[in-house]
Amino acid sequence: MNGLGKSWRRHRMAYLFLTPALVVLAILVFYPLVKGILLSMTDMNQYNMGTKFLKASYHFIGLGNYRTILTSPEFWQITKQTIIWTFVNVFFHFSIGLFLALLLNRQFRGRTVYRILLLVPWAVPSFVSAFAWKWMFNYDYGFINLALTKLGLQPIPWLSHPTWAMVAVILTNVWLGIPFMMVTMLGGLQSIPKDLYEAAVVDGANRWQQFWRITLPLLRSVALTATLLGVIWTFNMFNIIFLVTGGGPVHSTEILVTYSYLQAFGEWKFGMASAYGVIILSFLVVFSSVYYRALHQEEKVF
Amino acid sequence: MAGLTFKNVVKKYDQNVVVHDFNLEIKDKEFLVLVGPSGCGKTTTLRMIAGLEEITSGELYIGDRLVNDVAPKDRDIAMVFQSYALYPHMSVYENMAFGLKLRKIPKAEIERRVREAAHILDIEHLLERKPKALSGGQRQRVALGRAIVREPQVFLMDEPLSNLDAKLRVQMRAEISKLRHRLQTTVVYVTHDQTEAMTMGDRIVVMKDGYIHQVDTPMNLYNHPKNMFVAGFIGSPSMNFLKVKLVEEKGRLWLVNPAFHLPSIEERREALTPYVNKEIIFGIRPEAIYDDAAFLEANPDWVVDVHVDVLEPMGAEHYVYFSLNEENVIARLDATSQAKVLQRHKVAFDMNMARYFDMETQEVIHRPGYQTAY
Repeated sequence: MNGLGKSWRRHRMAYLFLTPALVVLAILVFYPLVKGILLSMTDMNQYNMGTKFLKASYHFIGLGNYRTILTSPEFWQITKQTIIWTFVNVFFHFSIGLFLALLLNRQFRGRTVYRILLLVPWAVPSFVSAFAWKWMFNYDYGFINLALTKLGLQPIPWLSHPTWAMVAVILTNVWLGIPFMMVTMLGGLQSIPKDLYEAAVVDGANRWQQFWRITLPLLRSVALTATLLGVIWTFNMFNIIFLVTGGGPVHSTEILVTYSYLQAFGEWKFGMASAYGVIILSFLVVFSSVYYRALHQEEKVF
Repeated sequence: MAGLTFKNVVKKYDQNVVVHDFNLEIKDKEFLVLVGPSGCGKTTTLRMIAGLEEITSGELYIGDRLVNDVAPKDRDIAMVFQSYALYPHMSVYENMAFGLKLRKIPKAEIERRVREAAHILDIEHLLERKPKALSGGQRQRVALGRAIVREPQVFLMDEPLSNLDAKLRVQMRAEISKLRHRLQTTVVYVTHDQTEAMTMGDRIVVMKDGYIHQVDTPMNLYNHPKNMFVAGFIGSPSMNFLKVKLVEEKGRLWLVNPAFHLPSIEERREALTPYVNKEIIFGIRPEAIYDDAAFLEANPDWVVDVHVDVLEPMGAEHYVYFSLNEENVIARLDATSQAKVLQRHKVAFDMNMARYFDMETQEVIHRPGYQTAY
């Protein structure tokens, strides 16, 4: 107590300067977070939320929403879809992004042009891309089926078959997510000193060995950080699914965020939607901390 | 063990020639230093030996083998890089073992070689550490160790000491010399530092703008420079160059310029005669200028009265700066010198040590007592 008092006196100025940032954080982060957690423990919906004329009449129901969610088969189905969605996406983002970064890291004519072209998916507003892809996936008029039939193949029911719909949204999101990984990996590659490769060449390493023994290990920390970000973003990637399939057909492309949205603005169950929000948050917090700890443990050795 | 042979080796980048018609034979077990200012082509030459740069034309042999088209890993060379280029994610042991592992050398043999090299370099206690946890000098040793364990025919060293502080550099210089005698291997060593070149090399190649200016032993370079560039580059402080007119008076040859009138020694008469009444460059090393009374008395003709601009006490000696005919001259005088800043002082040029250069070609005029090293 005494120590705290002393530090308060000594650092009074510092606390003063920190106040504006703390206020902003409180309004933008802490309040919504706490409010969300509190709402998740109520039965708040469209009817009892209260309006200008009617007093709010929702109740605290403890962990009731969580019990409902965790015992419902949809929740587990959607969690499974979310995990598949996240890992398939990040896997392709990473592998294609790394592959392109490796190509772009070489010296060749017109490298800048390629670099700019490969950034296009990033530059286009994502809803524009989403609608463009949705149109390309159209069963009767879409470009992809048109191409398939021209090649003498059967058209694919992209958006009306559960599995194909998942493939379609994943394709769209993979296309969108590659530039980020590519640019990050390219940055990582360029930060590896050239003379390490020269030393490796003199030591007798061929291209393959250089890649496995020099490039990958030195890319590790960049790759792990980018992958973590990728996982978080993809896990919460609302707009692509919402715009391309709307979560359908029959919830087959639904992930936790889109489902949470559906709970709030489709079914108007705000308490339930908040509970989903808290569950998403806790998934990500657990994942990130485990992941980061693992990463950090590795890092220490460097 | 093997020597190296360059036959008309040329390196071009697009149309830029960075190494011109390089011819050189490096003997087995020789310590050869390539020295020159930055951009002189010395590092490019070394990298051509390593196989990191392609040879545009000409032939390069390691031993009897033409290696123009041999991959770096098959050249049986090891290289120490200026930046050390240690693999940051590997321990010291792994760094040293990397090249051996790739060559599928048995584990026990790798272990033996790494331990032995670590012992020689006194880094046994660091084997488990990562490069990040090492000091500059320790990294330098690891880089050397990585080359040693390979037991190559030729060691290539690219300015290995330039990232160390002055004190450590002197220490490592001696250690590399010691190591080299112990290993009995051909070494090609690149540096821009003439002191390193002088102290370590059996022979030194002085390069500038992609041309070899002189290949010689350290003492021959110092005593018998082939041209003004070599004369100015080797030795510290640099040789002083003064523009003079050569005239014949009273049966002697004199170097004349508005600031002094100095007689050339009789032994040079023959060589200098064609230059009478012409301008030449008179070169004199700072250490060939004296101011002690005995020397002045013995050689009254060689005395010049100068105005001291700057005096740098170095401890054992003073560097005294003065100007003659608007050209700066440095003298390396004994610490007992009575010279004082901004005062006049009498100094004598030891004309026995004078060197003369052609104004046009910058080549030395006559090298008395010169004997080729080999």
